[in-house]
Amino acid sequence: MGWIQAVKRFVGGLMVLGLAWGGAGVVGAAPADPELIQRGEYLARVGDCVACHTAPGGPVFAGGLELPTPVGNIVATNITPSKTAGIGNYTLEQFDAAVRRGIRADGKPLYPAMPYPSYAKVTDEDIEAMYAYFMNAVEPVETRPPQTKLPFPFNIRYSMKLWNALFLDETPFQPDPSQGEEWNRGAYLVQGLTHCSTCHSPRNFLMAEDSSRDLAGGEVGPWHAPNITSDPVSGVGSWSLEEIVAYMKQGSIPKSQAAGPMAEAIDHSFQYMTDADLRAMAVYLKSVPPIAEDGVKKPVDSWGRAHADFASVRGKPWPENPDELNGPQLFDAYCAACHQASGQGTFDRQMPALYQNTATGRLQTNNLVMVILEGIHRVSQGYEVRMPGFAHELSDQQIATLSNYLMQAYGNPDGQTSAEQVANLRQGGPVSSSNLILLARAGMVVGLLVVLALVVWLVRRRRS
Amino acid sequence: MAENLSADFVVIGSGICGALAAYKLARAGASVIMLEAGPRVTRAQLLANFRNSPRRSDWMSPYPFSPWAPHPVYKPKDNGYLVQAGPYPYPAEYIRVVGGTTWHWAAHTWRYLPNDMRMQSLYGVGVDWPCTYDELDPFYQEAEEIMGVAGSAEEHPESPRSKPFPLEPVAEPWAMRRLRERLQPEYPVVGNTVARNSRTFGGRPACCGSNNCQPICPVDAQYHGGLAVDAAEAAGVRLIPNAVVYRLEHDERDRIVAAHYFDPDKQSYRVTGKTFIVAANGIESPKLLLLSTSERFPNGIANSRDMVGRHLMDHPSTSLTFDADEEVWLGRGPQSPSSINTLRDGPFRAEFSAYRLDFTNISRVDSTTQRLLLDGVYGPEFEKRLRYSAAREMNVKTVLEVLPRPENRITLSDRKDALGIPQPQVHYAIDAYTRGGAQDAKKHFTRIAELMGGTNLRFTPDDAFANNQHICGTLSMGNDPNTSVCDRYGRAHDHENLFFIGTGVLPTAGTCNSTLAAVAVGFWTVAHILEEQAGVPSGKRAATGAGAGT
Repeated sequence: MGWIQAVKRFVGGLMVLGLAWGGAGVVGAAPADPELIQRGEYLARVGDCVACHTAPGGPVFAGGLELPTPVGNIVATNITPSKTAGIGNYTLEQFDAAVRRGIRADGKPLYPAMPYPSYAKVTDEDIEAMYAYFMNAVEPVETRPPQTKLPFPFNIRYSMKLWNALFLDETPFQPDPSQGEEWNRGAYLVQGLTHCSTCHSPRNFLMAEDSSRDLAGGEVGPWHAPNITSDPVSGVGSWSLEEIVAYMKQGSIPKSQAAGPMAEAIDHSFQYMTDADLRAMAVYLKSVPPIAEDGVKKPVDSWGRAHADFASVRGKPWPENPDELNGPQLFDAYCAACHQASGQGTFDRQMPALYQNTATGRLQTNNLVMVILEGIHRVSQGYEVRMPGFAHELSDQQIATLSNYLMQAYGNPDGQTSAEQVANLRQGGPVSSSNLILLARAGMVVGLLVVLALVVWLVRRRRS
Repeated sequence: MAENLSADFVVIGSGICGALAAYKLARAGASVIMLEAGPRVTRAQLLANFRNSPRRSDWMSPYPFSPWAPHPVYKPKDNGYLVQAGPYPYPAEYIRVVGGTTWHWAAHTWRYLPNDMRMQSLYGVGVDWPCTYDELDPFYQEAEEIMGVAGSAEEHPESPRSKPFPLEPVAEPWAMRRLRERLQPEYPVVGNTVARNSRTFGGRPACCGSNNCQPICPVDAQYHGGLAVDAAEAAGVRLIPNAVVYRLEHDERDRIVAAHYFDPDKQSYRVTGKTFIVAANGIESPKLLLLSTSERFPNGIANSRDMVGRHLMDHPSTSLTFDADEEVWLGRGPQSPSSINTLRDGPFRAEFSAYRLDFTNISRVDSTTQRLLLDGVYGPEFEKRLRYSAAREMNVKTVLEVLPRPENRITLSDRKDALGIPQPQVHYAIDAYTRGGAQDAKKHFTRIAELMGGTNLRFTPDDAFANNQHICGTLSMGNDPNTSVCDRYGRAHDHENLFFIGTGVLPTAGTCNSTLAAVAVGFWTVAHILEEQAGVPSGKRAATGAGAGT
């Protein structure tokens, strides 16, 4: 990625121009020293700013990525130091207001697709470092992505003020003196910059995180962000610190492999974090109050065993109708070449076993279906993980049959998949909850009616 | 039939050559209909067929056989589709399905040597190509980039290139590494250039060493015609499967105006177009031309000088099997990973055939098992001998050059297939030139075995040549219409809007697999067609003629 290059280019440029570090053209910027910039770069990675603020294949931090939300697409903005298209004119205070309180330079509120409710926990020092990095070491890009256009009433940005009043806690992180330094560092990262709860906490009907069920699992479009509380059955309570660190660093341990948005978080962010920071996060996660899910009988990574059913299909012709292919037939044709005959994976762990794997242990089967549809493509430091997707080859019915077979043969047999569910996920997830739009509009209509009623009542009272 | 069967381009054949040409034309904005005699297949179905087959060592068994689009089948017995007229048998294999024969290949994607294209002027044998290696270089590159060819430029100075290979070489299997180490410096053993992923490419994973390249790669790590068809259809090409073209129709100006095809029920359809491209394989393409007779072309389309189907070439192989003095365990990694390329050129080519020496890496378990069972070996002795052979048996084979000779040819036989279409007949011989190469190779076979501490040397008999299914020459391009079928761009000498794409157009065979050359020459043809038609309004093309440029 371009950060290091950008820093180098910038430093090189300064040297050529013979400019001193301070006063490098940024009005109101504190003199930025290279160490501060470097720390800011690290923190920007921890915060994974790039994930949303860079369009696929587009220039870094120039925005343009469309983030689907239940009320419509929100377009990420240009956060390069361009004075015309980006945040080049932002003072430290304005930058701070945007990142921690969700207020842009013109005073209008941001949509909480920007995880400022999490970033609110970031310390002043870290905000300053990120500001120094963005202003001094990011290449300005002079293009402005299209503006976000949400339907009424969400197009009224001030509606977010009310939302903030209800849901935004502006206090920065307060260390807990009863806990050690490592735990506090972990809590600071998890609650703040890494914004784990943005995906992993369930949301209430107004799209705010449900703090009573912190990290108990949430939905990200078609993907399910699992429970990562310390519950030993539903969460990661049974994982060792080493397993959690290795998962965040490499995205793959024998019992669990990252896919979808988590794979992106690892590729863009976690893999670059120091082992000490990852360990601190793991220490904190293992202390998050356990929240058990209903109906979960044993840990998601403890189901299933090596198993093959080929004897039942060998020598039998395929059915005329491909939707009538059974589980073992589909497994034979699409899975067994890599995951091996008994689902045991390869000896070098490049291809994981399908049993005792979180992929097949959940009641919620969305992620299994999504991986079959889209596959996994990750580029970690030095190596690549590629599972091909089968969206173009397998029908909804075939994926439902396969998914049910995989759960039956290798995982939690209670986790069911229907063809309708696959069709829905193929289209990008739960049908956008236009309910929220309806609800908001209905709410405003009701409010208006109440006001009108009041006016009528007042007028009548005066007349009488 | 109510629907409109008409397009700017009609491509006959949906193999890797036809499909990639169709893809390029559609991408350029043309309407394209692609006709394929065989049915659609899916990789998953082929894989399941293979795994379910009771005859797994017959690699053709997973492929569906369609009575309306027959192809040669030799196991368990010869179906007699390709009629042998002698003197030497030519048991060619190919597959008539959507995507064609590259569903089933070792994915060798070699460039010819520049000298392969100048055989007549350099060595006084064979012919010179009507175009040069340098002219084809960018088209080779384009083909390699689409197919994801892996290789090392350093290991392959024999075929110069102006740009790097798109993919790094595929990991070297242990047995090949031992060959390379023990044969150097006498023989440089190098990795083959292959359309096999050494890393994720085109949304497909890297080779994981299933050793199952043939009959079908189980993870889709190899490029193949099925992928080319997917790309073509995504680009807007209209594919009609199960459409057996049996006649091309021309007008009074000798332009092709329609292709006639049968569906499996022998209903006939007429497809019209402005430009026609025949890309139906080195045997089926000349067969179609020979079938398309008229008063003006009594010997068939493009055949006014009786050149169609002649100059048939392939690559005969002789081989040596031996037991190495160490355990190498063939069968890990791709089936055909490495070879020796230093005997592919030299002044000797005036006298006898050049050749490539190719090492197999196919697991010996199946072949040894069959041999031991035939020999009546069983029990602990079976286990012991199977283990010994599976670990130590190695094989090196020649890939010999055949010269273009007019008497080696495809004609029509008296026999007819299920739709009443005459079956192809082959006249083939292996001449002294090719046999000379086979004799020359023996000393290298012996030396290679010696360097590997080989024992139990088993040479194939002197008159036993295996075939490699690299069918070429039958629609040769050339400048002289008296000795070739099409011009340097693949245009039929006799018909200005008829082009040929495929291995048939290659005028010499060289010592390497023919697919990449055919795809590259096909791209050269397509580039020429598009250049010629550029600027000509679509409506006027038919009137002014696609061939107005030359």
